[in-house]
Order: sequence, then C-alpha cells, then structure tokens
Amino acid sequence: MKIKTELVHFKEGMELTSGSKLSMFDLMVETYGELNEEKSNGILVCHAFSGNHHAAGVSENEDISGWWDQLIGPSKAIDTDKYFVVCCNNLGGCSGSTGPTSINPETNESYGRDFPLVSVIDWVNSQKMLADYLGIDKWKLVAGGSLGGMQALQWALSFPDSLEKSGIFAAAARSSTQNIAMNEVARESIRKDVNFYDGDYLKHDVKPKGGLKTARMLGHVTYLSEKHMDLKFGRKFQDITSKVGGDVDFEVENYLQYKGEKFSNSFDANSYILMTKAMDSYDAASSFSGDLEKALECIKAKLLIIGFETDWLYPPKRGREIQLAAMNVNVSCSYVTLDGEQGHDSFLFASSRYENIIKTFIQS
Amino acid sequence: MMAIEISKIIRDWVPSQSKVIDFGCGDGSLLKDLIDTKNICGYGVEIDHQMIAQCIEKGISVVEKDIDEGIQDFELSNFDIAIMASSIQCLKNPNIAMRRMLKLSNKCIVTLPNFGYWRCRLALLAGKMPVTPSLPSSWYETENLHLCTINDFEELCSDAGFIIDERIFLNSSNKKGLLASVMPNMFASEGVYLLGRK
Repeated sequence: MKIKTELVHFKEGMELTSGSKLSMFDLMVETYGELNEEKSNGILVCHAFSGNHHAAGVSENEDISGWWDQLIGPSKAIDTDKYFVVCCNNLGGCSGSTGPTSINPETNESYGRDFPLVSVIDWVNSQKMLADYLGIDKWKLVAGGSLGGMQALQWALSFPDSLEKSGIFAAAARSSTQNIAMNEVARESIRKDVNFYDGDYLKHDVKPKGGLKTARMLGHVTYLSEKHMDLKFGRKFQDITSKVGGDVDFEVENYLQYKGEKFSNSFDANSYILMTKAMDSYDAASSFSGDLEKALECIKAKLLIIGFETDWLYPPKRGREIQLAAMNVNVSCSYVTLDGEQGHDSFLFASSRYENIIKTFIQS
Repeated sequence: MMAIEISKIIRDWVPSQSKVIDFGCGDGSLLKDLIDTKNICGYGVEIDHQMIAQCIEKGISVVEKDIDEGIQDFELSNFDIAIMASSIQCLKNPNIAMRRMLKLSNKCIVTLPNFGYWRCRLALLAGKMPVTPSLPSSWYETENLHLCTINDFEELCSDAGFIIDERIFLNSSNKKGLLASVMPNMFASEGVYLLGRK
C-alpha cells in the first residue's frame, strides 16, 4: 500500500463559524493508494475526537497502526488497491495540523488558549479546501465513526454535490445531554489541574497531565461497553509485577491508568477542550431551528448509517433518528445495527458483517 | 421469492414516482423493479442480514428492523404506498399493523395466504395442519401467527373501515384462475389487495 504523509499549507486561511479567522493554516494529511486519472476514486475518512491523520498502515517512526487500519488497506473493506483514501488531522488538533500548540503568526507565540473555537462545519470546510488542493471534485465516499460520523453527515449537508456516499457510524445528528455532561466532567478535571493555568500552561512550560489523564480515563469508560469490560478484565486482580501504580488493585484500574498516562503524554489539553466543545456544539439542524428533516432535505448523497448494539454513548437510536428524518425527506438512506461488543469503540474494529456492508455500499 | 404474477400486479397498482415502503422487502428485488419501471422513491424494511446486504448491493435503501417495530416507528411518515407481501399473518397484531400502515401511507398493498383454500380444508378434514405452496412450512416451523381465510380478512377490512380498492385472487400456480375469482374463499390460494382508508 502506498502511504504518503504531507503537511499541506493553506496560505489563504479561513473564516470560522465562530466569526474568528485563521489567517493561514496547515493540515497534516495522510493518503493511501493512488488517485486515478479521472480523480473519481477518492475516499475521505474523518477521525473521531482524539484520532489523527494516521488512519491506516503502520507509521515508520513509532510503529503505531492507524486508527482504522482494520478497515482500510489492500483488499480490506475500504480497499486501497481500488480507492485513494485520504485522512487529515482536524484543525485544532495536536498531530501536525494547526492547533493550540502551533505558532500564531500574529504573535509569534503558541496559540494556547487563544486558539479560536472550531466546529464540525469548520472541519468540513477545511477538508473541502483539501479536496480542492487534491483536485477531487467528488468523493466516492466520506465516512467516519463518532465525531468522524458527524463530519461525514455534515459533508452531505455542506457540499451535497461533492460526495456520492456518506458513511455515518456510531454517530448522531447532535450530541445528547449526557454526551455534553460527560465531556464537561472531563474538561473540568483538566481545568482543575494546577498546571492548567487557565489554558496558558505552555507559557509556564508545564502541561496539565494529571487532569488530561483523568479526562481520558473517564472517556475510556464511556467508549467501552459493560459487557466488553467484563469480558476483557472481569474482576481480575492486576499482576503485581506489571502494576503501573502502587494503589492499583484490579486489571481494569491498571488499564485505565496506563491508557490515561499514555494519552496525557501525547495529547494537548487545549485540543482536548476544543475537540469536545466542537462535538458538544454540533447540531446538524442548528440552521433549521432544530428541524432535522428540513436540514437533511438538501442531501444528494446516499447515506449508510450504522449503529452498534452495545454503544451507550451514541446508541443505535441516535442513528435511527437520522435515518427516519432522511427517509421522510426522500433521501436515500440505509440503516444497519451491528452487534459489536466493544461499545462505542466498536466502529474501529472489523467484523465480517461490518466489512461486508461497507464494501458492498461503496461498490453499489 | 415473490411470484412474477404478484410483482406484476403490484407494478400495475403502484403509481409512477410515488413513495413506497416495502415491509419485509427481502433482497429488494420488488423495490428495484419498481425503481426501474416506475421511478419510485423506495425504502425497504428487513431483518435478515443476508437480505439486507443484497439490498445494499442493489443500491436499495433498507432499514434493519422487524416489521412490527418498523410500522410503529414510521407511523408519522408520509408514503403513498405501503407494501406487505406474505407477512401480515406473521405479525403480532395484524389489525393494529394495518391501521398503522394506512396511517403512514395513503394506500396499502397486502398479499396473504388463504387458509380457506380447499387444500387446507382437506388437510384439516384429514386431521392434519395444511402444507401448501402458499403455506409451505410445517406447523412447528412456520412463522405464521394469525392465519385467516379470504372471508375473515375482508370482514376485518369492513369492520376496521379499510376500503378494498382492488382485489385479485390467485390459484396455486399463482395465476388468475376462473374458479379462484368466482369462489375465492374456496379456490384462491392467495389474495392480493389494494386497500385505502375511508
């Protein structure tokens, strides 16, 4: 599989939905496979809140598999022998695209807490600029899970003529009250970290790692299902030789400690806050006084919505809401529920039915 | 697989460019046919995984749901025609399901096996549950919950205020036979109805 990583500079900048303007910005982009001559085989995959541009294959320096590596690759559900797959780190992220840790050209210092609020619509607008840069007029498919699914939906709304199909997995047309509540607990743990300095921690040369770690631990609980946690950890005690901390008793505690620690070393706290804010504020129907049917009327793409039985963060009924609204305004839309045991995270993992449905949908 | 004759009848009854929902749409063949010949806007409801995959392959919009749930959830939708082929007798409450179908769409096409068919009567006379072309499963395998005769069904329509716009009776070879049309309760193996509301 041909993998290319590129930092694309947009010197024209962009106006954000918040009213702020980025005078210029970069997107860190990874592509897989080759664009055909007609430029008609492009597939855009959009990452979830803590993901990045590295969607498939194994990165050279860190030996990390892409977040959707189970589904993207030669002969996989999203077949890189046939399609040119594109993924970019979203604006406001911390994996190479312009975000809070980048240098603000106007002050020559890191943006830090001054990085403007970004939205799902802004991300889609920046991805459209990327499509123009790549010369792709119409994506074969735009797809993603969770916050990535919201982008796939927004693509169909913002640029109805620029995609054939949209794959919306483990997502919703708007975040629920419970989603917002969970995210606020996570954000509060970051804000309460003594090293947060109201978002100005970079100037103090520290990072609010403790708060970020707690936020991620809570996040992990919401991404998994009760059943999967039972199966994976049960009430097993952690082996004494591999404990990450003295106070850890159970395997599940050790797992959360380990995952939280690892995340807090690599992720930026301001990005965390920005990304969760973007997720919370997303409402596909916001320009139509909350009327989802009216909002979806403009869609020309075929939609495939997938929900996962054990997902309690964005449960299947959230996908069905989109399906029902789409059907009521004559938009072509299929809806499928998959078993997926891993809760909300199920969208990341291949299963024969999941792969088959995606593959069939792309080819149909 | 739906008999060719039945899909022909349905094609005649479905207006061009109408919005159609097919409850228990199977592999999506009927909807595909209606899209190709009548330029309809169609949606299918199906529970079988293989069938759903075949619908998606054909480019048919399909929703994974069982029929009862689908009829309930789509109650406020706006279809021109709802189709329920050979499934009405499998539902928990066929009368409620039909009322809901006539709420979510203007017209409703229902096909049902006739339990009054002479071969069923003969089987019962011989003390056995009938197994016929339109009732192919044995009693312990069948999904049928509410079997009825043509007369029973029409009585329900009359009691519930469903208007029968059209009715066609088919014999066991799925043809419009003379006997089946003259004495349907005895000689029709299958009834095909176009229903409307008062």
